[in-house]
Amino acid sequence: MATTTKQSRSQSLAKTATYPLDWLEERSGLIGGVRYFLFRKVPGDTGWWHTLGSATLTAFLVQLITGVILAMYYKPDVNSAHESVQHITNDVWAGWLVRGMHRWGASVFIILMFMHMGRVFLFGAYKYPRELNWIVGVLILATALFEGLTGYLLPFDQTAYWATVVAININGTAPFVGPYLASILRGGAEIGPDTLARFYSIHMLLVPGALIGLIGLHLYLVVRLGVTSPPWSKDAADREPEPEPVAPRSGLVQPAPRAAGVRRRPSE
Amino acid sequence: MSSLDERRAGFQHYKENVKRNGKPFYPFAMFHDTVMSLVVVCVIVGLSIIWKYTADGSQILGPLIGDKADPGTISFVPRPDWYFYFLFYLLRIFKWPETVILATVGIPTILLILLLILPFVDLRRERRLSRRPVAIVAAALTIVSMGVLTYKGATAQEAIAAEVKAAIPSWAKKQGFANNQEALKGANLFAESGCTNCHTYLGTGSSNLGAPDLSAEGSKNKGIQFQIDHLKCPSCVNPGSPMPPFAALGETNLKALATFLEASKGPQ
Repeated sequence: MATTTKQSRSQSLAKTATYPLDWLEERSGLIGGVRYFLFRKVPGDTGWWHTLGSATLTAFLVQLITGVILAMYYKPDVNSAHESVQHITNDVWAGWLVRGMHRWGASVFIILMFMHMGRVFLFGAYKYPRELNWIVGVLILATALFEGLTGYLLPFDQTAYWATVVAININGTAPFVGPYLASILRGGAEIGPDTLARFYSIHMLLVPGALIGLIGLHLYLVVRLGVTSPPWSKDAADREPEPEPVAPRSGLVQPAPRAAGVRRRPSE
Repeated sequence: MSSLDERRAGFQHYKENVKRNGKPFYPFAMFHDTVMSLVVVCVIVGLSIIWKYTADGSQILGPLIGDKADPGTISFVPRPDWYFYFLFYLLRIFKWPETVILATVGIPTILLILLLILPFVDLRRERRLSRRPVAIVAAALTIVSMGVLTYKGATAQEAIAAEVKAAIPSWAKKQGFANNQEALKGANLFAESGCTNCHTYLGTGSSNLGAPDLSAEGSKNKGIQFQIDHLKCPSCVNPGSPMPPFAALGETNLKALATFLEASKGPQ
């Protein structure tokens, strides 16, 4: 009797502890989703090469967090932008660190993105059925470069200002759409107060939103299609098959060839 | 080239193989990812610390912030962030007015399109590098050309007006025009108007597009009127010259510049 009460008590205790999780799972399926994400199988020979993508994601998260903090102190106004950045760097507690991490995190993010793309290219991981994910990745790269371009103006020092003048002029040289694009970026005929506010809005709302969406799609496709095994993988999957040796005619001396339709695979 | 059916079969085989021989993402792959992400964050923090604590000294990572943006300056040489250096240097290669659009819009657009269509061009299933010579050559060419262009962009000698101006007293001494007020005024204009972005003068400036060294321009004795006419419209005097016209400087300024050029007889 005593043991059964003990058992039922521990059972009910466990039930109480997991109740919130069960509640969430029943209503959203999120717990199952997380379990699927964590315990999905990846090829046995994935290694350090496969960490470049998640490293890029980490750098992006650093940009998101430091960017939110910077936005609390930054003033997107031609008269006070430069001063507010100086204030962040010199007066705000650890402000220099947050700004430094945002500034250098951008470079690290872009380097990692190029390295990740190089790895995917050399592994041939853009091939069927992952073509769409390669395209999404290229779009992420282009969007992130645009994010770097718009962020460069915000400290509003000489380098920032004149580099942006040139960047907008370059946009303006594009055929047909160029002049309109340049005028949209400038927010008028000349670079002025509207340009800074516009770049700020693009840099912290429009482009990060697009990046979050694209990265979400990118990750969804990674989980759905699975991680590519390295090209040196012992398994022959995802490769051009070896040319089949010409089967000799069966005769008295040589054994009959393998049954038609069965392909030889080294792993089998 | 393999048919879609073969590629489908290959992916099916991959999925079965991962199911059989794969390992769960957590904890195996996630361990690698976590370590790599920590390294990334440490690198970003490390860069910020180096940036902050060398700002008063060597400034290996540049200053914390430059002077406030001043739309009034005309001589500030713009510089983008380092990951745009390769595009920035393309601008210097395609500097002639008719070809600028190649560097600003043409080449970046072509690169983006090439990246986007890559998975539809390379339809083979083969992923081993030893059997993808075209991919290896393409990757090597891309890395080398981007690297060289970035390096050239980073080390490009852009003449900053203030630095050029600092050299004027030594020019006057070497050329012997220290007492010629008109020539000194011309030398200042020469430094401010961006002439040294293409021409060299006694070791200052950078030679671009085959623009000649002007240290001994006066020894050709072409005359002040010729110099003025040439400055007003270089291609009228010298058909095919890529040098832009400087008529906007005004008659008095052009006369001072011409006097300076004629006084430059070469170092004595």
